[in-house]
Amino acid sequence: MKVEKYSHITDQELLEYYYTGHDSKWLGILLERYTLLLLGVCMKYLKNEEEAKDSVQQIFLKAITELKKYKVEFFKSWIYMVAKNHCLMKLRDRQGKLPAELNDKLTATADPETDTAALWKNDKTLDLMNESLKELNPEQQQCVTLFYLEKKSYLEISDQTGYSLLQVKSYIQNGKRNLKILIEKKIKDRV
Amino acid sequence: MADNLKDILSNLSPDIDQETLMLYLQNKLSEEKRHEVEKTLLDNEFADDALEGLQQFNDKKQINFLVEQLNTDLRRKLEKKKQRREKLRIKEQPWLYISVLIILMLIIIGYILVRRMLLHP
Repeated sequence: MKVEKYSHITDQELLEYYYTGHDSKWLGILLERYTLLLLGVCMKYLKNEEEAKDSVQQIFLKAITELKKYKVEFFKSWIYMVAKNHCLMKLRDRQGKLPAELNDKLTATADPETDTAALWKNDKTLDLMNESLKELNPEQQQCVTLFYLEKKSYLEISDQTGYSLLQVKSYIQNGKRNLKILIEKKIKDRV
Repeated sequence: MADNLKDILSNLSPDIDQETLMLYLQNKLSEEKRHEVEKTLLDNEFADDALEGLQQFNDKKQINFLVEQLNTDLRRKLEKKKQRREKLRIKEQPWLYISVLIILMLIIIGYILVRRMLLHP
C-alpha cells in the first residue's frame, strides 16, 4: 500500500517535505496515517457513522487549507485538536448548547506531563510505588496489579474479577493517575 | 518487576499503527499483544478516543472499507488541487505573455502593411 511504502518517514519529515516542495503528495501520505483514528474520534463524539465519515472529509479539507497558511510542529496533537474542535462545533450546532460534562471532556487539555525520568532517578521511588499501590482502593489496586505487574489484558482481568471491561479500564486509568499523585505528594513531603 | 512498576508512571504517548488497532478491534490478537495495545492506549489519548469510537460501529468490517473510501477521496481531492496549481503555474510563465504580445504585434503590423498596400497600390 502507498502509505506503508513511506512508513520509515516520520510525520515531521513528511511535513518538512511538504513545506519545502509544496507537493501535496506528502500531505496526503501524512493525512492517510490518521484516517482510522480520525474516524474513530468523530464516531466517539458524534455517534453517527455517516456524520463521522463526513466530518473526517471536512477535517482533511481544513488540514489542507490550514497547513498551507502556517507551520505546524506537532502534527499528531494538532490534528487531534482539530478533530475534537470540529466535533464540538457539530454538537453545538446539533444541540444548540452542549451539556457541560461533554463540553469539559472535549475542551480539556492533557495534564502537564510529569518528568518521570527525573522521578526514577530517585531510587526511593520504587519503594514509594509499592507503598502507594497499597493505598489505592481495592478495585484500583487489584486491576493495576493484574494489568501492569501480571501483564493481563482487560478481557482476562474482566473474566478474573467479574468487573465489566469498562470498569476494568476505568479502575486502571484512575489507579494510574492516583498512583502518580500519591508518589509526587510523597516525594514533595520528603524533600 | 521494577520495570513493570515503571510502566505505571510512563506517559510517553507511544504510537500505534492502524493495522494493529484493527486487529485489536476484531479480537484477532493474542492476550499478550492485547495487553501491549491496551498499555499503549492508556498513554495515547488520541488512539484511546478513536478506539472508543470505532467500537461503536455496528459492522467492524465496514471500517476498513470506509477508511479506504476516505483515503481514495482524499487522494482525488489532492490530485485536483495539484492539477489546478500546475495549470496556474503554466499561466504564470512569462514566455507565454511574450508570445501573445509578439503575435498581437505581428497581427497589427500585418494589418497596417495590408492597409498601406491597398491605399497605395
